[in-house]
Amino acid sequence: MQVKAKLYPKEAARLLREHPGVREAVTGATLHFEEGRKRAYQEIDAEAWRERARRVKDHLLTHLDHYLELAEKRLQEKGVRVHWAEGPEEAHRILREIVARHGVKRVVKAKSMLTEELGVNPLLESLGVEVYETDLGEYLIQLLGEPPSHIVGPAIHLALPDIQRLFHQRFGTPVDASPEALAAVARKVLREAFLTADLGISGANFLVAETGTLALMENEGNIRLSTSLPRVHVAFVGIEKLLPRFADLALFLPLTARAATGQRLSTYVSLIQGPAKEGEEGPKEVHVVLVDHGRTTLLHDSEAWEVLRCLRCGACLNACPVYRQTGGHPYGYVYSGPIGAVLDPGLLGLEDTYPLPYASTLCGACYEACPVKIPIPKLLLTWRQRAVERGLAPTWEKGAMQAFSKVMQSPSLYRLFSKALRGLPLPQDLLPLLKAWTEGRGPLRPSPKPFHELWQELKE
Amino acid sequence: MDAKSRILSRIRHALKERPKALLPEHPHPAFSQDPLELFLKRLAENGAEGHLVDKEGARKLLADLAQGLSGAAYGKGVPDALRLLPELPPEEAPLGVSRALFAVAETGTVALSSEDGRKAQLLPPVHLVLVEEERLYPSLLEAFLDLKSLPSAIGLHSGPSKSADIGQVMVKGVHGPGRLVVAVLQGTW
Repeated sequence: MQVKAKLYPKEAARLLREHPGVREAVTGATLHFEEGRKRAYQEIDAEAWRERARRVKDHLLTHLDHYLELAEKRLQEKGVRVHWAEGPEEAHRILREIVARHGVKRVVKAKSMLTEELGVNPLLESLGVEVYETDLGEYLIQLLGEPPSHIVGPAIHLALPDIQRLFHQRFGTPVDASPEALAAVARKVLREAFLTADLGISGANFLVAETGTLALMENEGNIRLSTSLPRVHVAFVGIEKLLPRFADLALFLPLTARAATGQRLSTYVSLIQGPAKEGEEGPKEVHVVLVDHGRTTLLHDSEAWEVLRCLRCGACLNACPVYRQTGGHPYGYVYSGPIGAVLDPGLLGLEDTYPLPYASTLCGACYEACPVKIPIPKLLLTWRQRAVERGLAPTWEKGAMQAFSKVMQSPSLYRLFSKALRGLPLPQDLLPLLKAWTEGRGPLRPSPKPFHELWQELKE
Repeated sequence: MDAKSRILSRIRHALKERPKALLPEHPHPAFSQDPLELFLKRLAENGAEGHLVDKEGARKLLADLAQGLSGAAYGKGVPDALRLLPELPPEEAPLGVSRALFAVAETGTVALSSEDGRKAQLLPPVHLVLVEEERLYPSLLEAFLDLKSLPSAIGLHSGPSKSADIGQVMVKGVHGPGRLVVAVLQGTW
């Protein structure tokens, strides 16, 4: 996927100006997700679950070479063909070969962020293969030619009227068709695709090294269908997606569901061990493509490597007051919101992504939501610091920080400025732009005397 | 060097100085609630229907569901005594009947094996799942620790197919069955 993260501030402002409805749709959806997550966390000892999950993932990552080789061995024992890809180029070559060998004409695809990274759909289309995204939200944005704007809810930026209009144009449904009627139309189109596709493509939520099990979570049933009906299944798996033991799924499946959608478990979980046995329904051939695409670079980073624990649940997006204003599109890459702001610089390099770590108020809500306790606020600061060191940060920031530092280090300058600031008109009188903040709040009145003067008087 | 060796060597290089983290033990399952009661409650909360039945009750439940239907698709494990309707291909059947590998109380889940089939679990709009009470585990962890062998695919189903992708309105039966009915059998079929 093309990276446009450098344009973040401009794109965010443009979106708010030109598509004001997006803010409302995204805010509504994310607050709903966030409410569900909070309720689901309250039901359990969330701190203990998160800490356990963090430790399992840290163990996995610090033994990643061992577990990758174990996973490959187990998968092969069950008849799965394992491929390794450093990036899009190799992934494309592997997929091209599978498409050619099986004469694939039609593909059903389960939602996968990694395949967005790798640009799988454009590749297939260039090969003349028909691709159907089968997650309802993904299907909507595929019809619109847009990238996903949220990890879990790719179409949360669309309001019902947007979708009614889209379906009216595409399928001739009434402009006021109900969500049920619209879903029924999509179901019909996609059911036909499931029954006729030659190849199913998916990602994976987890790959268990001990048993070679691919685990995939969803609510619609499209992943089960995509991995059950076509005769070939290809799963693209990021190398950080492994889990050591099968029973670790008993923690990670419900924890991910609680974090992502507030459910105790997603409606469907597919646990795939390999191709169908003789006389069984299911794909005759299963391929797993283990993909690096920047992950080993991140692993090498002694601070940022912790983001590799990420489960792609989207909880930090839902918790983020900045993401909520725009959704994911202005971030300019597959991963948006707080996790995108710390993951994208690690995967793609800071040069192409440096505005993203600034897309945060550092309020810490993302950390509270994260099921694997990724210290996102700390890492946002790490990336900002690196941006400054490499001369990528906005120049005004450097100037402001240097001036601030000068003033703070000199008692006489500090007194001068604090006196001057107390004499200035208050911001609420100055800036009608701050109305949203000042409304419903009393005016901020600085104390007539600063603390150091009061202290002096007290001592006397 | 091929991609695999390059990736693995980069990983080893990256981990050279990194302290190894220990793998925590699985927690001890502590469950006080009656699993059967909890299972039925969770199914209802998930939007599924749960029934506790004996052999006769199972037949009656199936007869009720079968009313007005032309046939059903069956999983391989469904006992002959419960094949009340003529068998139809899953693509056309208005009802799918499966036999679960096990069930989990804490999440309201039935586990379906590829050995029983796949299409009957996914294509018909209504899905009836049969499971023996003795195959009910209190928790996911106990079920997973107890699994001796793994079929080529397991589907964990915890309710009807649903989506809120259209304008945040919950719609059932998007791709999989819009109705999930679970019959928990006391005794044998």
